[in-house]
Order: sequence, then structure tokens, then C-alpha cells
Amino acid sequence: MALERWILRFRSLVSLALILAVWQGVAMLELVPRKYFPPIPDIAAGFWSMLLSGELLAGDSLTLGRALVGIVGSSLIGIGLALLGEMVPAFRSAFRPIAAIVQPIPPAALVPMAIFMLGLGFKLYAFVIILVTIWPPYLNGAAALAAVGDVEVKTGRMLGLSERDILFRIKLPAAWPEIFAGIRYAATISLIAVVVAEMLAGRDGLGFMLIRKAFATRIPEVYALMFVCAFNGVVLNALINLLRWRITGWHMRMTERTP
Amino acid sequence: METMLEARELAKSYGTGAGALKILDGISFSVKKGEFVSIVGPSGCGKTTLLMALAGLLKPDAGAVSFKGKVLTGPSAGIAVVFQDYSRSLFAWKSNLENVVFGMIRNTTLSKAEKRAKGRELLAAVGLDGFADHYPWQLSGGMQQRVAIARGLASESELLLLDEPLAAVDAQTRADMQDLLLELAERFQQTCILVTHDVDEAVYMADRVVVLTRRPTRVDHDIVVDLGDRRDQITTREDPRFLEIRHDVMAAIRRFRAETPLAEKA
Amino acid sequence: MKRLADKSFWNAVWLPVAILAVWQVLAMRAHTPLFPGPWQTLLAISKLYPQIVGQLGFTLSRAGIGFLIAAVLMVPLGILLGRLKLLGKVLEPAIDMLATLPPPAVVPIVMLFAGTGDAAKIVIIAYAAAVPLLMNTYEASRTVHPSANLVARALHLTKLEAMLHIDLPAALPMIATGVRLAVSSALLVAVTSEMLLATNGIGVFIQRQQENFQISGGLAGIAFISLAGLIINSIVFQFEKRWLFWHYRNANSKG
Repeated sequence: MALERWILRFRSLVSLALILAVWQGVAMLELVPRKYFPPIPDIAAGFWSMLLSGELLAGDSLTLGRALVGIVGSSLIGIGLALLGEMVPAFRSAFRPIAAIVQPIPPAALVPMAIFMLGLGFKLYAFVIILVTIWPPYLNGAAALAAVGDVEVKTGRMLGLSERDILFRIKLPAAWPEIFAGIRYAATISLIAVVVAEMLAGRDGLGFMLIRKAFATRIPEVYALMFVCAFNGVVLNALINLLRWRITGWHMRMTERTP
Repeated sequence: METMLEARELAKSYGTGAGALKILDGISFSVKKGEFVSIVGPSGCGKTTLLMALAGLLKPDAGAVSFKGKVLTGPSAGIAVVFQDYSRSLFAWKSNLENVVFGMIRNTTLSKAEKRAKGRELLAAVGLDGFADHYPWQLSGGMQQRVAIARGLASESELLLLDEPLAAVDAQTRADMQDLLLELAERFQQTCILVTHDVDEAVYMADRVVVLTRRPTRVDHDIVVDLGDRRDQITTREDPRFLEIRHDVMAAIRRFRAETPLAEKA
Repeated sequence: MKRLADKSFWNAVWLPVAILAVWQVLAMRAHTPLFPGPWQTLLAISKLYPQIVGQLGFTLSRAGIGFLIAAVLMVPLGILLGRLKLLGKVLEPAIDMLATLPPPAVVPIVMLFAGTGDAAKIVIIAYAAAVPLLMNTYEASRTVHPSANLVARALHLTKLEAMLHIDLPAALPMIATGVRLAVSSALLVAVTSEMLLATNGIGVFIQRQQENFQISGGLAGIAFISLAGLIINSIVFQFEKRWLFWHYRNANSKG
């Protein structure tokens, strides 16, 4: 059992090692042409050359920055709308059909039209990302705020709290865990939306680099960029988890108790 | 003794027209300062509705609740409620101490440090010293309800409404908690109204028992429990007078049970 | 006509109507085909709908096939990984890493292997749908309540019976969440993959319209995607309500 415990403790590393080993194995067996499925050292070399030329950092800082700005903006707007809907029920019922109509629109479909109106700059990304990522924090927030029980609210009333105090000191804390689940999902979508928008806008960022390298058949560099994309997700998740732990640490410890 | 709370001809219906359900139908009784009054009634009578009206959380259709001579129009600073569902009325994101301190949120005379000190005292009073920095969900049900009681006392309300506070804890804990509540009520000179469906508990705890009829609910009996101030789980419960009162209350409630058509019992 | 008198109906409708009205006014004042209003969009829809429906058909059938492939592969895999505790725990970080890789990032690679035809797009869609399905099924199967296993043992159920009667129903609500996410992500990626690997489909249609400065045509296409998403989501919701009513009833009584 000692081995099992050891494996579990370092499971992230074991997992990564497993992926790399399988990858290297497939590449070395040449089940697929080496040109299309390069071994790990080739990918690392591609990564290294992009890092040295500075293009990787320049591209990724744009992509990650856009995703981050988008996710912060859409979280704030989404939570704000959810709070507004909780205060003014007429707004919530009026906003529901809009959410239902706009939510299924893929970011890709918005990009060509948005380029016309907003150009290729920052405004384009802000618009596209916020329009597609606002829904998870909004919908989760609205549902969780509305689901706060009668007993909690009555407890607040008996303690002499105003409606506003009840909203911010009872309903919002109770809703944070759900809201964070929404933000985490929104972060995933925002990375998708940024890369898609960069691919279609065709000027800069990781998405643009991916397309350009693919057309130039610099395959190891394409794979390296793919890994960087996944790494961006890890970074964004870690940032959100940091905040989540600060705000809803109680909930994470509570749910840990009953796995 | 001065009257703390008075209910006059309280009436409440849900729905309108032919489908209207009349819950309360002219309920009147009063509670004096320092009294411990139990309210019991057959299942499905409007006990919880009545309690919500007494707390000012529900506006009656007719009649009024007056608290210290003034008609209630909403929740009052002088009234605190301990709810049955402690897992919801305690805030999971606050530690036990923070939950108790939250009960003093409208208290402007104490400093933050003083509130925390008082919170610790109250937690000790309900037997939870050493659990101040735990969270409610780390405690058993009975312990959580103790935290809720401590918070109820923290607001220094003159009237404590107890909404079946012990219905969800196990029998052994229940007896201990009954004695704890009695001890606290005496120590803090607390006026209490206990709503319960347990006849034994109602009689054991109270100076007076208000027995309700089934829906539409009125006051059926108002019985003085002349068992003295000292209650004991063994001797009080064997006291012939206790058994007599218990018999009267039980008989009154069972009478309604027999009248209730089977279909309505579900 | 009883609905028109219904207050809740108007409550739901006033804001969209107000937004459309403001948009129409702005468009009339701008007076350029580059900024069409709802009326021009409606005209475009009436003119182009046969074409739009045809293109949408390509998109939806690819999304459907991709989703089905992902479901057939990932649901059993997720349940299996949840049962084989050690393997599941070791692969968990790998699944998490995979989940952070956005589907459009795999487009260039898939292009190398499968070109730009239907197969390439279906592979990308299946990848996009696979991630939420695998994660939710794994999580559901991992966290089936221990007391459920005790019940299975007390009733002397065989492993297969326990799987069928206890594990699967208990895991269904969470799997349903995965299905919902996977369906919307399949639709999203279906449109995206078309725009990147242009051949046919609603994504290509929108792109063509806008390249020819037919913004109203592009908006018409977007309206149809939104409508399709709305219909598909409500179908998924109906299925959930029908098969998981016990879960919702339970959750409601607690709330």
C-alpha cells in the first residue's frame, strides 16, 4: 500500500509523466508519420525557439490578458445583473428571455460582425468574450440567490436586517459557491472565445499563431502552442481557485467533510 | 405582572374564494413578563402560522399582536426566534462565534471586542466553550441548536420564540436541551413561547399551556401548569399532577384527532 | 388570447421588445446597410430562410454525430474510471489538463490528420463534447454514496444489478449536467469549426454574408442558430424532467 500512497501523493506528476510517456511511445513507434506527431524533444525545441524569439510571451500575454479581462468583466456584470434581478423581480423575468436567446450564440458567429463594428482591437475581444461568458455567473447567481431559503431570510428579518443587508450579508454569501462554479465554467469558455476570435480576426495572440504555424507546417511549434493553451487554462483556474478559497473556503471545507 | 405579548382575535386564511383555507380563526391569549408558555395543537393546525404572526413575520388578516402594549407591524428588535431548522438558520459561512455575534448586529452600545467576549460567554452558557472557532456544520444537530439558542439570547430580546426547536434532535439530547433551556430562561429572566407538537415537552417546560383546536384554529384550553419552578426529568414526569395535566392536554388534542377525517390526516 | 391578458407574459416580453425598438430606431438613424435593424433582419430572414435552414442542417447533423460519438465513448469510460479508484485518481489531473485545452486549439492538428472535410469537424466536435461528459460521469461515478453500496449488499445484488439499479440512477443527475454542457459545447464548436475549415454549414453562411457586407443576412443566420439552440436546450430539458423527476422533486422539497 505504500506504493499506492506514494502514487496518490504525486499524482499530478505521475499523470503528467504518463501522458508524456505515452506520447513519446506513440511518436517513437511511428504509428503516425513523425512529421505529424513529433516526439517530445522536438516539441520542446519548438517551444524553446518561440520563447527565445519573444513571440511566445508577446502572443500569450495578449491571449491570457484578454481572457482575464473578459472573465473579470463578465463575472462582475453577471453578478451585478443577478443581484439586480433579486432586488427587482420584474427585471429578472424580463431578462430571462434575453438570456435564453443570446446564450446559444457561438462566439465565432459574432466575430465577423463585431469586426465591422468594433475593429480588430481590444473592444472586439471585450465584446465577444463578455457576451459569451456572462451567462454562467449570471444564471448560477440568479438561481442560487433565489434558492436561499425562507428560514435564512426570516432569521435575518428577526435580527432587524434591512432588505439590502439580507441581500448582501445572507443571500450573497450563501450564493458564492454556486457563483464560483459559474465563474470556473465561464473561464473555460472565455479561453475558447479568445482563441477563436484571434483565429478569425487574424492579427495577433495565440489563436493567430496557431493558424499561422499550421499553414507554415511548423508542426512541433503547433503542438507546443497547444500545450501553452492548456497551460493558460491551468493558470486561469489557479487564479480563480485562489479567490474562491478566500471567499468560499468554508464551503470547500464543508463539502470535503462529506465526500 | 406586566403583559409582554398579547394576541387578539388573530385570523389568517390562505387563498381566496371557494378554495380559501382558513388557518387561524380568532386566536386570543397573552403572555406575561417572565412566563414560559407552551403552545400545542393537533398536527396540521396552524402552529407555525401562529408563530410567524407572533414574530411579526406574517401579517394577520384580522386581529393584532401587541408587544409591550404596541401593535406589531413587522419584526421587532425585542423579539428573537429560534427556528426548528438550525442547519439553515445558522450561517454556514460564519464560525459559531461569528454566528452568535451576528445576533448582536443591531446592538450599538457594545464594541466589537465586547460583542466577541459576550459571544464566548453565551457559547459557554450553552455548554459549547471550546467550539467558538468551529463551524456549525462541524457540530452535531443538538450542538448546532445550542448555537442558535445562544444567538437568540445574544440579541437580548425580551421575548424568545422557540419554533419546535428540539423536533430534529434525538431523544436523549432532547431531555438535556429541555433542562438547558429552562436553566437559561431562569438565568436570563427570559420570557419564552415554545411551539411544539410534543405534549410531554409542552407540559414539562411551561408555566402555562395553550392548547389549540384543529383547523380553523382557535384556543381550546389555557391550562396553568402548577408544578413549581424546579422541574426534573424523573420526578416531575412521575408527579401525579404532571400526569393529570398531561392527560387533559392529550385528551383535548386526541378528541380533534378522532374527529379528523382519515383523508385529511395525510 | 387569454395569454395576452396574462401579466407574467408581459413581464417577460417588455424588455426584449424595448431593446428591439431602440435597436430599430438606432438603425434607422444610422441609415446604412452595415448597421441593419430588426426589420431589415426580418426581411433577410424571409428572403434567405430556405438557404439558412439547409446550411443549418449540415451544421446540426455534424454536431449530432460528434456528440453521439463522444457520449458512446466517454460515459462508459467515466463510469469505469470512477470505479477503478487508483487509476481514476492518477488520471484525474490528466483529465483536468485536457479540460483546459480549448477545442479550437486542436483545429490545426486535426486539420493535419483529417483535412478540412466532415470527418475533421466531427472529430473536433466530439473532442469538445467529450470533456464535460467525461468529467461529469467520472465525478458522478466516483461519488455514488457509500450507503447505496451497503443497500446493494444488503439486498444481495450482483455487481451488474447494482450498477444498473443503483449506481447508474444515482449518477444520472450529474451525467445529465454533463450532457447539457456537452450539447451546447457541440453546437458551439460545430459553428466554429465551419468558420475555420470552411466548406458548408451555417457558420460558413454567416461568414459569406458578412464578407459581402450583407450584415442583415449574417444576423438572420445568427437568429437561426439561437433558435436552434433554444429548441435543442428545451428538448434536453424535457428529457431531464421526464427521466429525472425524482431528483428535481427531491431537490425542491429541500429548498
